[in-house]
Amino acid sequence: MEIDRVDGRTANQLRPLACSRNILNRAHGSASWSQGDTKVLAAVYGPKAGTKKNENPEKACIEVIWKPKTGQIGKPEKEYEMIVKRTLQSICVLTINPNTTTSVIVQVVNDDGSVSFMVMHLSHNMLLPCAINAACAALVDAGIPLKHLAVAICCCLADSGCVLLDPTKLEEQKTKAFAYLVFPNLTLSILPEGSLKVEGEPVEQAIITSVTQGAMSVDDYLRCLERGRAASAKMSAFLRRSLPLQNPSDSSKAG
Amino acid sequence: MENKPSGSSPTSFLDQLVVPGDVVLDLSNLTNQTIKLGGGLRQDCDSIVVVKAGKLRFTKPNKYWVESSNKRYEPHAGDSVLGIVVDSRADNFLVDIRGPALAFLPVLAFEGGTRRNIPKFEAGTLLYVRVVKANPGMNPELSCTDVGGKAAEFGQLKDGFMFESSTGLSRMLLSSPTCPVLEALGKQLSFEIAVGLNGRVWVNATTPSTVIVAANAIMNSESLSGVQQRIMVEKLLQNLKLST
Repeated sequence: MEIDRVDGRTANQLRPLACSRNILNRAHGSASWSQGDTKVLAAVYGPKAGTKKNENPEKACIEVIWKPKTGQIGKPEKEYEMIVKRTLQSICVLTINPNTTTSVIVQVVNDDGSVSFMVMHLSHNMLLPCAINAACAALVDAGIPLKHLAVAICCCLADSGCVLLDPTKLEEQKTKAFAYLVFPNLTLSILPEGSLKVEGEPVEQAIITSVTQGAMSVDDYLRCLERGRAASAKMSAFLRRSLPLQNPSDSSKAG
Repeated sequence: MENKPSGSSPTSFLDQLVVPGDVVLDLSNLTNQTIKLGGGLRQDCDSIVVVKAGKLRFTKPNKYWVESSNKRYEPHAGDSVLGIVVDSRADNFLVDIRGPALAFLPVLAFEGGTRRNIPKFEAGTLLYVRVVKANPGMNPELSCTDVGGKAAEFGQLKDGFMFESSTGLSRMLLSSPTCPVLEALGKQLSFEIAVGLNGRVWVNATTPSTVIVAANAIMNSESLSGVQQRIMVEKLLQNLKLST
């Protein structure tokens, strides 16, 4: 059954993606990521010596600071910081630089703004997947060692029961449930396909983070997972194309 | 970029752009061989996985590494870097080399260094040093002598101007044959330069305008090809001659 979305997309279509790397001069790594009108800028500083008090000094520590577009920092921002931090911790190789801190600062540039002031406070925003994608690209730009990349996507459940990918803010307000899903990227491998396994399960079935709001049935959630995973393959290919482009094209050979 | 058809894996990643997570070598095919892994690669049981984005490089007989340009430096033994003294202790100077940890420079690691003639470096002193040891989890150790114990240009860099850029630019400046921007500048100007593999470059000349022109030319040259670098240097030097 065809769903008519406000901006004319089909149920499985993503908004236009744009990613640029190395945009800030002073940050050790930076990236901006935009999906449609939602735009987030991430900057990475580090690794710097020393960890915070409650952190394990035998591993590298990642610290996330979330800066909203307007307003003061409150509980929602702290929650986003925690989600982004846990996601990034699972993709970084934390044993390489023990006793160091890497700071990731996420700045919301534009969040698909709705004009009505009251609605802004009541609605949730599409920022989290955008922020995770931007933070991952910024970590790559800074040269932090990563196990693989993270690709984040949002799926929402429309009233009719259809799964919509990458909803705009208006669509998100009308849905009864949505999920933010983060998958590892698709990697190219010299090994024959299907042989990459982590603890006995194929890597293609992995999921890093899932944040859900609202009530949905288990079947609907599994459908969201399936659609999200398929879309993350396209985003993986986009990341692979756009990430190395900032490197200088001519290589140097040390004498 | 390349379209990977499903169901087949590429035969080789050499000189290709790789992203973290790609498996580039299968060790089960390479029994009885020793491979040396450089930066950006990690061993994961029987496969070699990429951890940094960049280009995969190989030199014979057995060295693999991922070449990428970053603003931070990963210390390796044998590199020459420019460090800035942060603090001094009884046995070591603490030196910042733009890496994940501060490096230690023993107070006796100078040619003819004894307890009686310890140099007095204040915080902020710029030094050209060699990395002696860089083990994971430990602070790197530096030295102001070469491997044979001679001073060999290591030590404090006085006057001049130091600027920071990326490690890729440093490697380009140190490559042989001489990189085009240095060659073009050297034909018309007289200056001295120290390049650290950690992305710091120091330039010194007799007049400030020469220093500024040389530094600007080097900073601009990272993303330019050889021909573009020469054209850029020509333009800068023309402006310099017009203004003097």
